[in-house]
Amino acid sequence: MKKTFTILFSLIFVFSSCQTKEKIEDKEDYLRWIGDIEQNNEMDDTEFKACMGDENILQYFHLQEGPMYYGEKPGIQNTFNTKYKPVTGNNQNGYIRIRFVVNCEGKAGRFRILQSDYDYNEIQFDESIVDQLLEITKGMENWEILYGNEKIPIDYYLYLIFKINDGQITEILP
Amino acid sequence: MKNFILLVLLCSLSGAFAQPNCEAYKYFGDTLKYEACKKLEETKGHYQFSKEYQTIVDESLSIDPSFDYAYWAKSIAYLKSGDFVTWKKLIDKAVELDPKSHLGYRGWCRYQFFRDYKGAIQDIEELDSLVDHDIGHSQNGTYHLNIAKGLCYKAIGEKDKAIKIIENQIKLNEEENFIGAYDYLHLGVLYLETGKYEKALEVFKKQSEVNELAENQYYSALAYEALKNHTEYKICLEIAKEHYIRQSKMFDPYTNPMDKIYIENIEAELKTVNN
Repeated sequence: MKKTFTILFSLIFVFSSCQTKEKIEDKEDYLRWIGDIEQNNEMDDTEFKACMGDENILQYFHLQEGPMYYGEKPGIQNTFNTKYKPVTGNNQNGYIRIRFVVNCEGKAGRFRILQSDYDYNEIQFDESIVDQLLEITKGMENWEILYGNEKIPIDYYLYLIFKINDGQITEILP
Repeated sequence: MKNFILLVLLCSLSGAFAQPNCEAYKYFGDTLKYEACKKLEETKGHYQFSKEYQTIVDESLSIDPSFDYAYWAKSIAYLKSGDFVTWKKLIDKAVELDPKSHLGYRGWCRYQFFRDYKGAIQDIEELDSLVDHDIGHSQNGTYHLNIAKGLCYKAIGEKDKAIKIIENQIKLNEEENFIGAYDYLHLGVLYLETGKYEKALEVFKKQSEVNELAENQYYSALAYEALKNHTEYKICLEIAKEHYIRQSKMFDPYTNPMDKIYIENIEAELKTVNN
């Protein structure tokens, strides 16, 4: 029963995520916060947990420390510069966002993808681009552990946005 | 933990725009907008990301679908969560309904969150063509929008144009005694990148006087190195490292600002000095 409910809820979530236009115009059932990602056992690592519970996951900017990465931003850039193989010649341009949860142990999970062209219209990039970005992101074992009050490590949402020009990464944000 | 979350949410709420004066809509006979505005007042105390906040905004928009402020209010959570698709649809509605009020904001966000340089330039220049008053500052107050526009021109390779725009705006800012936290630094980096090392050092000194930063010392070091002044090069790098460790560096809660440097950059230069 619980599994059926989880799958049903996940399908509703995935469906609602894809219907951006309707999202604006129609009333919808929001989750706790915009951008929340629920565990989907069909696609997510079942071992991954938010240490303090889903209801306590914050956003990376809540601590007012700016975007924090293990090894700072050059660490992220070096990783993608080394591992990403450009897929050129297919006129692949726009933004790819990978949003995920970083837990209190500095581990990441629940990766979700959003893609658009430079006019912010949803598109589908070549799978070989998206899969590479996703796998490299998933393969990064250490993310910055952020601490709340009383030095307690928190769970938080983070995202990476890749600007893609002709299949090559030109910038990584934020 | 709950108290901590409450605290961060209160901090986030304090950053919100002031709600428009609903009575003004009533005074001018726009009763629909007045009612939508009154409904929107119910968001007070709710976090922008929350379902409670978003539901109230939806209700406000169902009262008056032409209430630009509500589209803007609804868009913020999508912007900050990196959902550029939904954000753009919402903020476009706000711009369509009241371009003078929202073009500057949209342009700034396109730059700050998505490094959409051409889009940001387009919005800021369109705003400039629509109003005969000062186009104002970025949402976070860090830059005059013309400085942001200059940075966008730099990013698309038009450095001479960027220098001219930023020089002009800094002159105006000096007259108003309202220099931005990173204005001189950005101009100095542009001088440095275009080979004007002495001019770069002049403005880096001004930056030191208003807001000393690790970046300022780092780029000063590069200018000294280009001028073959190895002693100052080394001194500046060491000061840059001290400032970096002390957190005197460029900062934005949401993104990494242009011209920001990292400890790895300083260490790499120091390694060169010591070899």
